[in-house]
Amino acid sequence: MNSIILRTEIQERISEIGAADILVGIPSFNNARTIGHVVKAVQAGFVKYFPDKKCVLVNSDGGSTDGTMEVVQDTAVDDSSSIFFYHRKGPIFKISTPYHGIPGKGSAFRTIFQIAEALNVKACAVVDSDLRSITPEWIELLIKPVIHDEFDYVAPLYHRHKYDGTITNSIVYPLTRALYGKRVRQPIGGDFGFSGRLARYYLTKDVWGTDVAKYGIDIWMTTVAVANGFKVCQAFLGAKIHDPKDPGADLSAMLYQVVSSAFGLMDLYSEMWKAVTNSEPVPTFGFQYAVGLEPVAVNVERMIERFSLGVRELMDIWKEVLPGEVVEYLRGIGEKPIDSFHLSDGVWVEIVYSFARAFHTQMITKEHLLKSLTPLYIGRTASFVKETWESGASEVEEKIEGLCRTFEEKKSFIVEKWDT
Amino acid sequence: MEIIRRIVIEPFEGLYAKILGFLPNFLASVLIFTVGIVLAVVLRALFFRIFSALGMDKFFERTGTVELLKKGGLGDSVAALLSKLLGWGILIVFVVIAMRTLDIPIVERLLERFLLYFPNIFVAALIVLFGYLAGNFLGRAALIASVNAGIRISGTIGKFVKYTVFVLAGTMSLEQLGIGRDTVIIAFALVFGGVVLALSISFGLGGRDIAKEYLERKLKGEEGKDEISHL
Repeated sequence: MNSIILRTEIQERISEIGAADILVGIPSFNNARTIGHVVKAVQAGFVKYFPDKKCVLVNSDGGSTDGTMEVVQDTAVDDSSSIFFYHRKGPIFKISTPYHGIPGKGSAFRTIFQIAEALNVKACAVVDSDLRSITPEWIELLIKPVIHDEFDYVAPLYHRHKYDGTITNSIVYPLTRALYGKRVRQPIGGDFGFSGRLARYYLTKDVWGTDVAKYGIDIWMTTVAVANGFKVCQAFLGAKIHDPKDPGADLSAMLYQVVSSAFGLMDLYSEMWKAVTNSEPVPTFGFQYAVGLEPVAVNVERMIERFSLGVRELMDIWKEVLPGEVVEYLRGIGEKPIDSFHLSDGVWVEIVYSFARAFHTQMITKEHLLKSLTPLYIGRTASFVKETWESGASEVEEKIEGLCRTFEEKKSFIVEKWDT
Repeated sequence: MEIIRRIVIEPFEGLYAKILGFLPNFLASVLIFTVGIVLAVVLRALFFRIFSALGMDKFFERTGTVELLKKGGLGDSVAALLSKLLGWGILIVFVVIAMRTLDIPIVERLLERFLLYFPNIFVAALIVLFGYLAGNFLGRAALIASVNAGIRISGTIGKFVKYTVFVLAGTMSLEQLGIGRDTVIIAFALVFGGVVLALSISFGLGGRDIAKEYLERKLKGEEGKDEISHL
């Protein structure tokens, strides 16, 4: 083990452990309140589903000041004999370490990949530290397809509230599906399983000084796996319920990081995605069932106001990026009353593809370009909420499926314009 | 006859001698100036080809400089702009050499004063150019950030930032040129301070209720009523 980003004591700990079969990583930053449950679920998953495997739990922390790392070290499954039929043959190893590099989830993952490589693990998984719905079965579902079926990448599949994951539903899922031809429903789900081989491959890429080091890591992992021909599947994990965050606070930065990573990958893999003409489902593991989800409060009126403000103030920027007819359409709906507000699938697809092309041709500074997308995204989300206000989960899923088909049908729009 | 010779012929002879003495310098000067023009044109074209071959435009496109120049009203590519600047630099050097070759004391004194002052003009021009580009860039950044924060007067905020940078750059360049040095700084400080004070008072008094409501919302965390999780 000779890594410049791992501390000496961690390198010594790795030397003590030697090698391992399974590694589960938990990135964290001030998650003392919730990480204990996640650690327990992971440990229980190791005990219950992998009793004869050498397992390591790694907490990669961003400098928490609330005792997150101490919680990880002190947490253990309370009374395993009353829960499990089998006892483990060996101990579960724990490593809790601060990560180096740009503060963000991607940097935390990089440390996890480094440790996985050093321990020469066969299968890895990463799970968020603010999950409230994680169970030991998640570990089985994320790891087993790698160990038993030789998959390299296991994306999560959740039941989420219809207004949960709107960047995923309106941009990332339809775009990656249309581009790369694999129907990975939650490409930025946050909880993934992957092989040791893929972890080593990730480490060969020099992306740790970019937005991949932050929120961009999820889409990067998924795209790299799909575009490079690794065996990909998805596993149904049930409901995804996590600690409530302040959702409006950094939407613009979050959107920028995710979308700039997705568009940056379009640059990198342009020859690959231009040749893809349709999409196919990926194998799905796990027993799918309906789950009750907490209602989500949405202020549609305020969202439409934000969109209209963008139409009034940012049109000069949008005019440089969008086709003339889309500009006119946006002007039209910006002036309409809230009740009749609607941003169609077709126009939204052209907006996303036009921004991707502008990102590629560097028409405008990338940060300005993508941050000016925020009001359009908010408008699209408001339109989606209005259209699906009375809809059930399956109707909403059908609506998203319709959007995906539009992305695929209009793919020639971006293919033809990409190099012009 | 002697008088006529001393009043008319001798000065003309002197002038003729001086012209004869000055003529080689003048011709050398014209020659140097002509060489300068030719060299400037040739080297400008050569530098343009070299810069283009080195992919300078693509590099500056990636850094966002091209966009900044476009926004600043400079339509030329970076390679063309730099080669033009180098061409002009070469021409100026040859003009200076040509003028010194004339060997006229008054021209030399003027040239000396101009050369001493020239760096100020160059720095002032750079400040104005940078201020113009930075003003446009920062103004747009402020506009986008304000729109994303849902501030209704986003357009005004963007323009305020842009013109503040313009005025600041203008003040700095005038100071660099030594034009009304103290007057310009005092005027700028007064105007800028006055604007900030006026805004503070108008926000504090005129918009007291709005400010109170805004701060209450911020402190009580009522701003983010939506519970949508975007990722």
